[in-house]
Amino acid sequence: MPCIAVEGLTKIYEAPEKEPGFLNAVRSFFSRKIRLVHAVNGLSFSIEEGELVGFLGANGAGKTTTLKMLSGLLTPTSGAATVLGHVPWRREAQLQRRFSLVLGQRSQLWWEIPAQETFRLNQAIYGVPEADYRRNLGELVDLLDLSECLNVPVKKLSLGQRMRAELAAALLHRPSVLFLDEPTLGLDVVMQKKIRAFIKDYNVRHRATILLTSHNMDDVAELCSRVVVIERGRLLYDGGLKDLAARYARHKIIRVDFAGPAPDDLSSLGTVVSNGGTRAVLEVPREKVSERAAELLRRWPVEDLTIEEISIDDVVRGIFSGSERGAAS
Amino acid sequence: MRKYLAAYGIALQNVLQRRSSLIMDRVGGVAVLASLYYFWLALMNGHKGFFGYSRAQMISYVLAINVLRSFVLTGRGWELVGDISGGRISSYLVRPMSYAGYSLSLDLAQKTVYLGSAVLEIAIFAALVRARFYVPRHWSAWLGFAAATAMSSLLFFVMEFMVSSLAFWTSESGGPLFCFELFIQFAAGAFFPLDVLPKVIRRVLDLSPFPYLVFFPINIYLERARPGETLRVLAIQGAWLAVMVFLASRLWRRGLRGYAAEGG
Repeated sequence: MPCIAVEGLTKIYEAPEKEPGFLNAVRSFFSRKIRLVHAVNGLSFSIEEGELVGFLGANGAGKTTTLKMLSGLLTPTSGAATVLGHVPWRREAQLQRRFSLVLGQRSQLWWEIPAQETFRLNQAIYGVPEADYRRNLGELVDLLDLSECLNVPVKKLSLGQRMRAELAAALLHRPSVLFLDEPTLGLDVVMQKKIRAFIKDYNVRHRATILLTSHNMDDVAELCSRVVVIERGRLLYDGGLKDLAARYARHKIIRVDFAGPAPDDLSSLGTVVSNGGTRAVLEVPREKVSERAAELLRRWPVEDLTIEEISIDDVVRGIFSGSERGAAS
Repeated sequence: MRKYLAAYGIALQNVLQRRSSLIMDRVGGVAVLASLYYFWLALMNGHKGFFGYSRAQMISYVLAINVLRSFVLTGRGWELVGDISGGRISSYLVRPMSYAGYSLSLDLAQKTVYLGSAVLEIAIFAALVRARFYVPRHWSAWLGFAAATAMSSLLFFVMEFMVSSLAFWTSESGGPLFCFELFIQFAAGAFFPLDVLPKVIRRVLDLSPFPYLVFFPINIYLERARPGETLRVLAIQGAWLAVMVFLASRLWRRGLRGYAAEGG
């Protein structure tokens, strides 16, 4: 049985609509227009125990809404889901004791007092025995380099320190399922690396199942061998990160070294990425790549020509931005 | 139970940590106490009593208002409204605990500090102005007052929780709570004893839970209640509490079903 199973999950919101301007504000006071938003639309996938899966999509694709349904915050309009065999929106304590949700923009730490106090509160909430609490806390403080932050009021911590304390608070009860929403948002590069190393370590060490959303390409590339990509609430891709490019890049790259100076105008062959000296780089529609390569060889003296896939970074960035360039829509 | 005790402990620390906010709140309380005291002193100038209250009883009513404002009419309504409309309750809803129980723990922590402060303020104020206040002759008045105050504190918590839950539906969620707070000060007797009001209004108010929050508990303390009145007040408070718990839990469950967990 999969650790997380999602079948036809759908969430429709009612969103009030208002045209700009004072008159429209008055009009909307008396009669409010409601628009139905399909945030998640018939989504299905499953995740086995111990997997670390990237959950990708552009802003508004429905990632956070899905995470909120899987953690029991939202009740879906239709469809089914189980996490560790429980229906999450029933909010059963047996399930709640075994998972954690970390929202990058949300804090569960008490702002005015040291993070250690929130840790103690979570110990009581999750019923963690004292010996386990001390062991888990010691391990988390070591791995997340938190020793200097424990007794400082949370409001005095830097963003990076706070994010690490946030992770510690979420993991003190050793959850076997972890939903991470943008865990590296706003952090500097060094801190991002630390957090990523920690997530990987937690996944391996405790065989934890992790579903991670991130707009940070490095998070995805370093942590996730499998990705689930959604667009407008629907499943777009579910599989290996490497296969994503081959399947979803609409273009390929042709790198060509000419025997003499590169011709000035190559735009009839594709999008010119660069053109200088004797070398040019072109982005060419996938289906036209052989034809354009042959044309290059026929029209100019060429020393070397290579055809490459668009980098995985560009494909995923294309998905994030919803652009047509890197990914299919 | 341990988790709610832990929440009480952490909230107690938090209230004490927010010193400036605590001091401002208490200064505001003392300002209300002083203005009501001098207002009634001026009204009673030359009179032995007023609306059946002796001078000492009326002074005591005013002083007791400060205690009941601090222990009964104090709550986390605005924080709850902010938590709901800003999506902050999400982090509590995913943890194995009851949000209402957690909220009650936080409420009690705030009330503990405010009660301690109110008693101290009254002692200092009464000493400064040399107020002669009423001291109940019979222990049953003390006991009845303590029990009725505890009940009314719980009743106010549930009512405020219910009104704040409307934030699930109203995006401009402060409105209902603002009206509730304003009305309750008047209807509970937190400005003046309700005997001052015309009989018709009194009768209507008596059909509501509001006078059982401040007016009746103080009347028990002032031994103005008829024999058996204390038990009647406690029974009515209990009945209102049951009704409010039922309504609040239904409203909360419905609110959660439609909760959009906004704000990321």
